Amino acid sequence: MWLGLRAILIKDIVVELRARQALPTMVVLGMLIVFILRIASESAAAGGGAPVMGAAALWIAFLFSGLLAQERSFAAEQHNGCMDGLLLAPLDAGTIYLAKLLANIILLTIFEAVVVPLVLIAFHLHVAGWGRLVTVLLLGNLGISSVGTLFSAAVQLTRTRGALLSIVVLVLLMPMMIPASFALLVLFGALPERMVGSGSFAFVGSFPAAVAYMLAFDAVFTVASWLLFGVVVEE
Amino acid sequence: MAQDEPTSAALSVRAVSKTFVTKPVLRGIDLVVPAGEAVCLCGINGAGKSTLLRVIAGLLRPDSGSIAIQGYEVRREPEKSRRQLGMISHAGMAYPELTVSENLAFAARLYGVPRRAERIEELLAGTGLTSYRYDRAEILSRGLQQRLAIARALLHRPAVLLADEPFTGLDAAATQDVCTIFDRFARDGGTILMTTHDLRLGLQCCRRVAVLDQGVLILDASKDRIDTRRFLDDYLSYARTMS
Repeated sequence: MWLGLRAILIKDIVVELRARQALPTMVVLGMLIVFILRIASESAAAGGGAPVMGAAALWIAFLFSGLLAQERSFAAEQHNGCMDGLLLAPLDAGTIYLAKLLANIILLTIFEAVVVPLVLIAFHLHVAGWGRLVTVLLLGNLGISSVGTLFSAAVQLTRTRGALLSIVVLVLLMPMMIPASFALLVLFGALPERMVGSGSFAFVGSFPAAVAYMLAFDAVFTVASWLLFGVVVEE
Repeated sequence: MAQDEPTSAALSVRAVSKTFVTKPVLRGIDLVVPAGEAVCLCGINGAGKSTLLRVIAGLLRPDSGSIAIQGYEVRREPEKSRRQLGMISHAGMAYPELTVSENLAFAARLYGVPRRAERIEELLAGTGLTSYRYDRAEILSRGLQQRLAIARALLHRPAVLLADEPFTGLDAAATQDVCTIFDRFARDGGTILMTTHDLRLGLQCCRRVAVLDQGVLILDASKDRIDTRRFLDDYLSYARTMS
């Protein structure tokens, strides 16, 4: 028994060290959770316990599920050489990226439609403007999906660079998570519409500025990912 | 065959080299295949056969050299060259969760195949898959999956078919069926470049043989011009003596 146990354990560790598939994802998601809770904790002083937890829970859930779904979407393409089938078709790589991005956005939107009401009920949250909430969630969805789709393709197709890419996606998503968290905290009543003073939320400044930051992030990273996808999937 | 201003050679590989990290895998490969010819590419494992096929298909970027399919430069005109190309690889490129018909319909949409339903019917009949059309790809036997891979590769009427070990895992009957499909494709003017370890089958399906040895094409000849017995006995030694 011990011989078999030892053999499987060593094999698993060696395979993971060489493939670097699970650990980078674990590290990225763990760091994102810590990061989001750290951002949300800035508003704790304002006395918004449930809204803070609700906003943090939502973004953590979206990031976890979004990245997981995006990784799965490319893992499925790798199975049976289906990715080769796509790359052999007379399409440019940007079209493949956009199709994958839209599929990931739709999946994450369905997920949001299920999870948001649950969080609102569970944390007894009142939303200051449903239209604004939908806007923030969709902008967050697009940001996570645009970076995540490119990242997942890169991890699936170039496994050896997985660790580096995981760090890159974390760094890329951070600038969006600050205004995204700010916007939700405003909508849940934990923060005022305008912030002054120091800290990352004061840097964002106001709800319209947070939305503008998210919009700019989405525009830049969607276009950049679309342009870079061909380079990522080649070889 | 796909007709879009075709030029003389269906497949033209000129001075193609490819190195993985520090290991040269293809060294100055030259191969020109006219329309309607079937070439069997032989070589031991690691000789560079699959890499050459992937470079031709545009799935790998060569370090140097050029490839043209029906006159379209693979790197410069990727979409036009891919339209002329069908590929059968080790993996079937079929989505396991989709049925046989759904897989073919998906591929037909990717290639913008006209009169899709008719063409799918034609290929289902031609590959003996009609009665399996509603079966998911995941439950098909290896032989049926290979037929699906062939149907998918021929769906858009390519001028050139690349087949990487198309007989792997097939029983004798399925192997003969695949040979018949290839033969029909070549008779209709299609060009085939296939790799196989089964030399007898290679010689049966192809009129021309090429041997890759450590990334170098050491033999490229019509099968009428080689000593078939010596070739089948030890093709590598034979090719080395001929080169």
